[in-house]
Amino acid sequence: METDEPAVHAEALVKTFGGRSGTVEAVRGVDLSVRPGEVFGFLGPNGAGKSTTVKMLTTLLSMTSGTVRVAGVDVGRDPDAARLRMGVALQEAGLDPRQTGRELLVLQGRLFGLSKPEAAQRAAELLALVELEDAADRRIKGYSGGMKRRLDLASALVHEPEVLFLDEPTTGLDPASRLTVWEEVRRINGRGTTVFLTTQYLEEADQLCDRLAIIDGGRIVREGTPAQLKAELRDREGLDREPTLDDVFLDATGRTRAKAAGEVQEVSA
Amino acid sequence: MSAALALGQRALLEAWRTPEALFPTLFIPLFFLVVNVGQAARIFPSETTEFLNSQSYAAFQLPSSLLLAASFGTAALFLVEEIEGGYFDKLRSAPVPRSSIVLGRLIAELVKGVGIAVVLVAVALPFGIEVASGPLGFVLLVVLTALWAVVFAGFMQLIALKTRSAAATNSGSLVFFPLLFLTPNFVPRSLLTEPMEVAATLNPVTYVMEAMRSLILEDFAWQRIWPGFLVVGVAGLAMLALNVRMIRNYD
Repeated sequence: METDEPAVHAEALVKTFGGRSGTVEAVRGVDLSVRPGEVFGFLGPNGAGKSTTVKMLTTLLSMTSGTVRVAGVDVGRDPDAARLRMGVALQEAGLDPRQTGRELLVLQGRLFGLSKPEAAQRAAELLALVELEDAADRRIKGYSGGMKRRLDLASALVHEPEVLFLDEPTTGLDPASRLTVWEEVRRINGRGTTVFLTTQYLEEADQLCDRLAIIDGGRIVREGTPAQLKAELRDREGLDREPTLDDVFLDATGRTRAKAAGEVQEVSA
Repeated sequence: MSAALALGQRALLEAWRTPEALFPTLFIPLFFLVVNVGQAARIFPSETTEFLNSQSYAAFQLPSSLLLAASFGTAALFLVEEIEGGYFDKLRSAPVPRSSIVLGRLIAELVKGVGIAVVLVAVALPFGIEVASGPLGFVLLVVLTALWAVVFAGFMQLIALKTRSAAATNSGSLVFFPLLFLTPNFVPRSLLTEPMEVAATLNPVTYVMEAMRSLILEDFAWQRIWPGFLVVGVAGLAMLALNVRMIRNYD
């Protein structure tokens, strides 16, 4: 990948779903550019179009219109080449409960073109990375939520992707597990992997992300670094205190705190 | 193809690790065999019933049990579980041909079908059933059963991919009952009443059943064997094509 090429670049991305009750425009012309090596946060209330956007970026959902390039590869034109350059861990930790952690990673490695010995070697490295060596040969159905999430992360890294997509990686985790996932994300990013992270947790975005975008009603309504977004709100509203990312989020989505309750949660790990 | 084989291996491991799902596949067809033979064997004594070719009525009934065993479609329920749990998307995010994701499961069904057929015939042998067409006939019988298992699993996978619902997929398996019973299940086609004979003649499962029955009851009678293989061949190719099309358009 060229160094000046964005890690993720989406232009005029649109997704329309047709159903019995009419047409729903889930994503209405999203433009995004994620720089190589950054942790990019993608925020939005429930139903804003976050997961739909991520699924299009990761080849899992067709685009109604628009273009996406991941690590320089046109996702629509050459999805397999794009898949080789990206790792994906979606909202539900997508794991097969009947396999052991090691078996799952070895299979994932083989699907990404590794030979059996290479896949076994890579699985061992990843199990060490996410500290699941002791549980490696146990069936996944016996893993805790945090262990499953870490294994899911490891499976997304099996082919050493340039860009890692994480869709709400800490949803449903206890604070300790959430902290562990944050550490993993930092460690992965520290090795040069670009991370595209969706989250409903504003504290998480503040802690992890270099830049972020807020989507609402299928459109990007704010984009910038957390500091830029807070400063913009403070200056525009003439606030006498430093606004939080919650304030930015509520301002961007036109929600009040009462209305947003249950949609976005603030957490501290 | 290597991705399809790796995924097939995983699907076999999944079946091996879920014996509670495999058990009914063997037990229920054996149960029907015992019950049907118990109810009708005295009506059709082997000595005086021409269509039995001197074998027991159990030999006549064995193809129904083999077809039933090959028509459970539990693999499709595992597929729905995978779709609901997110592992299906994990597989779809890998740079492998979309077709290998459905092919893997069908390869596993073929292997499972072979195993199930061998076990059922082995269990039936001590009850006086012989495969009259000999070892080659036995192999053809097992292959035919396994190919039917692929056809039926392919059909069930289509429902699973279309509906993504365990309830709908489970209901889909019920379609096999009219297919199984609108056949010369208890007596040869020539002894059926006219409406049933017409229905059985139109039902493709009839030809699979008659091919199996021919392999068990008589020396190679190719005119009764090839239509069975033709049905599983055509239906298998159709299911494969539809499965591949479905997963390529899966959103």
